Amino acid sequence: MSAEPREIVRVDRLVKEFPTGLGLRRRRVLHGISFRVREGEIFGFVGPNGAGKTTTLKLLMGLIHPTAGRASILGHDVGETAFRRHVGFLPENPYFYEFLTGREILAFYARLSGVPGVQIPGRIETLLDWVGLSHAADARLRTYSKGMLQRVGIAQALVHDPSVVFLDEPMSGLDPIGRKEIRDLILRLHEEGKTVFMNTHILSDVETVCDRVAIIVKGEIRYEGRIEDFLETGERQTDVVLAHVRPALATALEEGFGMRSGRGEHVELRVPEKRVAEVLERALAAGAEVVAVTPHRVSLESAFLSAVQQAGGPEGPEGRERK
Amino acid sequence: MMSPVRVGTIAANTMREAIRSRVLYTLLFFAVLLIGTGVLLSTLTYVESERILQSVGLAAIRLFGAAIAIFVGIGLIHREVERRTIYTILSKPISRAEFLLGKYLGLVATIWLQVVIMGLAFAAVSWLAAAPLTAQHAMALGLTAVELAVIVALATLFSSFTTPMLAALFTTGLYVLGHLSRDLRDLGAHSEVQSVRLAASALHRLLPDLESFNLTTQALHALPVPGSDVVVATLYGAGYAALLLVLAVVVFDRRDFK
Repeated sequence: MSAEPREIVRVDRLVKEFPTGLGLRRRRVLHGISFRVREGEIFGFVGPNGAGKTTTLKLLMGLIHPTAGRASILGHDVGETAFRRHVGFLPENPYFYEFLTGREILAFYARLSGVPGVQIPGRIETLLDWVGLSHAADARLRTYSKGMLQRVGIAQALVHDPSVVFLDEPMSGLDPIGRKEIRDLILRLHEEGKTVFMNTHILSDVETVCDRVAIIVKGEIRYEGRIEDFLETGERQTDVVLAHVRPALATALEEGFGMRSGRGEHVELRVPEKRVAEVLERALAAGAEVVAVTPHRVSLESAFLSAVQQAGGPEGPEGRERK
Repeated sequence: MMSPVRVGTIAANTMREAIRSRVLYTLLFFAVLLIGTGVLLSTLTYVESERILQSVGLAAIRLFGAAIAIFVGIGLIHREVERRTIYTILSKPISRAEFLLGKYLGLVATIWLQVVIMGLAFAAVSWLAAAPLTAQHAMALGLTAVELAVIVALATLFSSFTTPMLAALFTTGLYVLGHLSRDLRDLGAHSEVQSVRLAASALHRLLPDLESFNLTTQALHALPVPGSDVVVATLYGAGYAALLLVLAVVVFDRRDFK
């Protein structure tokens, strides 16, 4: 039996409150969240806007301090700095010194990250080539497009060859080609054995690349685990298509199962899996013809929306103010 | 442990930003221009024309030095937070104290470089007007450099927690008070009320005594300056700036970058 993979990120009952107004009130943005990220996985931290994703990531990066609880990366408390030699971070819509060139900014980050001086030029060339910026390496960043800045952001996050990479909405604002490139890059990092933590609200990205997810809604974790298991948490449904349905049967089915769409004697229903037999028996008894019976695959989007709705809507943590 | 490489990297980058900014060249141009106009002013009088020329020159260096220190210093940290450039920097293995010290040293080095340039312009104008150049002039410029390091530390402290507008108000206010603190102490000493005497003395100790870096009179009149005066003033300036920076680190360490 293989050993459990090492925990790379460990978050325990993390609480974050921000003062509001004159500092007399406090707004709680994270309500004691806990989750784990294991070595070598692509972990999706998923939630609607305002759920607390960026706040969590800023806590992990030491940019803000927790009100209560604990977070560690590679076994080190996130308040420490030395372990960040092994951590890469791409913020959402990254900003850089515009007076520097692409090559200069990467050299700057490499020196800060402790890359030995002799290795810096070679490392920069490799990364510039990797993110496709070799042609613009000596142009100032103020002349770069948004997509190019995102590539600089990725290059700086990887300049010191970290073992764990944190990406905040890495595909936001990119065109389809740019998004595919980032997706390929994430998969490449995964192949190299790196652990990737990705904040996102784009569900197709999650389905395509992530091994495990944590779903955060209004500052609380609603689910943590494999995507497949998350999709299984809802009640399984089955699509039933019937033909030659008489009006009396159609009415009875509508009353019994609610969902109904159809043209004339052709009816489509989505029913809970355990009631399929009942529907079929009634339909056949009433002389209808069964055209199709297909298990319905719950999309991540609908499961996600249902998780959000259970939490009382997608809006952020506003309204939970405390004195 | 502070790493000289990381502090040096931040400092070198801060210098590079200043050197690539046009605003500083404009300020430097006007400073050199003002030093040059000393020649013009000195022709308006038949007596002590060299002294007027050098008086204008030294005043220009001190005022423009302070203006540059305040102007650039007030946004030194705030700009990094506002533009979010600090996010990627602090995600690297660098402490907030190293970042702050690097920013401070980078700006001080930039301003000292400008003092050297203004000092060279001053020397050139003095030489052209056949005005004497003595060791006191060098000491006066040296202590001006120390004073500017204190002003940058003040601006860095305010920039670490407030907006450039408020930081400018606080720093300029303390710059003015710093030049009056010695007068305040002397005025208080004449009071017959003990609490006033104590309050004036305490304020003098608390506020930066920026007049202790002013050797203009000694330089203009070639008065002797004991070496110990320069050493004491330099140590005082270094200690005061260090205390301000420690305070700035304490404040900066507690901040959340929302």
